[in-house]
Amino acid sequence: MCGTCGCSDPADPVTLTDPEKGERSVLRRGPLAGPGHDEGHHHHHAHGQGHDHDHEHGHDHGHDQPHVHGPNGEVVSLEQAVLAENDRIALRNRGWFEGRGVLALNLVSSPGAGKTTLLERTIEALAGGVEIAVIEGDQMTANDAERIRAAGARAIQINTGAGCHLEADMVAEATRKLDPPPGSILMIENVGNLVCPALFDLGERMKVAIISTPEGEDKPLKYPHMFRAAGAVIVNKIDLAPHVDFDQARCFENIRQVNPDAELIVLSARTGEGMADWLAFLRRQRREEPIGA
Amino acid sequence: MHELGLTRNIVSIVAEHAGRRRVRRVRLAIGPFACVEPRALSFCFGLAAEGTVLAGASLEFLEAEGDAFLIKDYELEEVA
Ligand SMILES: Nc1nc2c(ncn2[C@@H]2O[C@H](COP(=O)(O)OP(=O)(O)OP(=O)(O)O)[C@@H](O)[C@H]2O)c(=O)[nH]1
Ligand SMILES: [Mg+2]
Ligand SMILES: [Zn+2]
Repeated sequence: MCGTCGCSDPADPVTLTDPEKGERSVLRRGPLAGPGHDEGHHHHHAHGQGHDHDHEHGHDHGHDQPHVHGPNGEVVSLEQAVLAENDRIALRNRGWFEGRGVLALNLVSSPGAGKTTLLERTIEALAGGVEIAVIEGDQMTANDAERIRAAGARAIQINTGAGCHLEADMVAEATRKLDPPPGSILMIENVGNLVCPALFDLGERMKVAIISTPEGEDKPLKYPHMFRAAGAVIVNKIDLAPHVDFDQARCFENIRQVNPDAELIVLSARTGEGMADWLAFLRRQRREEPIGA
Repeated sequence: MHELGLTRNIVSIVAEHAGRRRVRRVRLAIGPFACVEPRALSFCFGLAAEGTVLAGASLEFLEAEGDAFLIKDYELEEVA
């Protein structure tokens, strides 16, 4: 097993649950279910694999120089992004969202920061106006999708099993099922984890990071990747600030240190304080043309 | 965290590229913002490589810029 992580059960598959229809499907088998020689994707262009002993060593980008002889065996230059496949699917998702006029946001936070609660309040606040569809990512249970549904929106639950983050193909599949209409908002609640969701582009317009006051002001410094990748940072549970000695100025300073440009929104999903700022942010995002359009 | 999945990506990309030839070494280029832990990758690599043409291969790391996370190259075993 992976030493650093909690992927304890290699047999856990990735599944997709539609709580409305009570349907459950398996998206992928467990991460240790054997190397994926079954998928037939990947088009590695083996640019003219002729040997060429003349060119210099050490030059990377994109020349036709797949083969070099090292001191021992033959060295084959690859220069391939490890996440190329994920990024390719993410790009396709992004194109689909933009073409359709769907605002897709990727909500990331540590477990329990209040992602689902914020979504519940947002769905209630926009009821009758803007349609919201939700993709819920958790390792186990369909609890969050049930909560979303109870709040009045459609949701698909992805259970990642051993996986600690959502990947673009999971979002593609869930989006196909949800089929969000033009003008709607697609909220993607990532697995509660401040580390690797930063690595995986899902095709969203923006990552929105949520930090809650009991977590302490130093989270942005401890998990800089995530806060750097976010276009907006929400400080939630501001109602608890006095009880947990939360220093908002210092928290802002820490966020600014890793990400000077992120939009900052302070709120309480419980009391509703600051919710107007968040809703105004969503309105602005919906109006804004996607980058490059 | 996710390093097992990543190493499986690495192994399947290299294995597919190498075809039937055995691989003795793989070099990754990782930037400071790539958000991957080389030690965890090393730990998972042996496991992921088992039963493939990468079995027993070593994994090495090169410094890169930004959030780069690439398979730089791989070395084939000498064919006698
Ligand atoms: N006091 C207070 N509690 C809150 C607030 N927002 C959420 N909570 C509580 O925090 C707990 C976790 O909230 P969730 O919305 O389930 O958090 P989450 O980020 O979706 O959690 P995971 O999906 O498990 O990662 C619940 O008990 C919420 O009632 C808030 O603004 N103030
Ligand atoms: Mg939740
Ligand atoms: Zn992960």
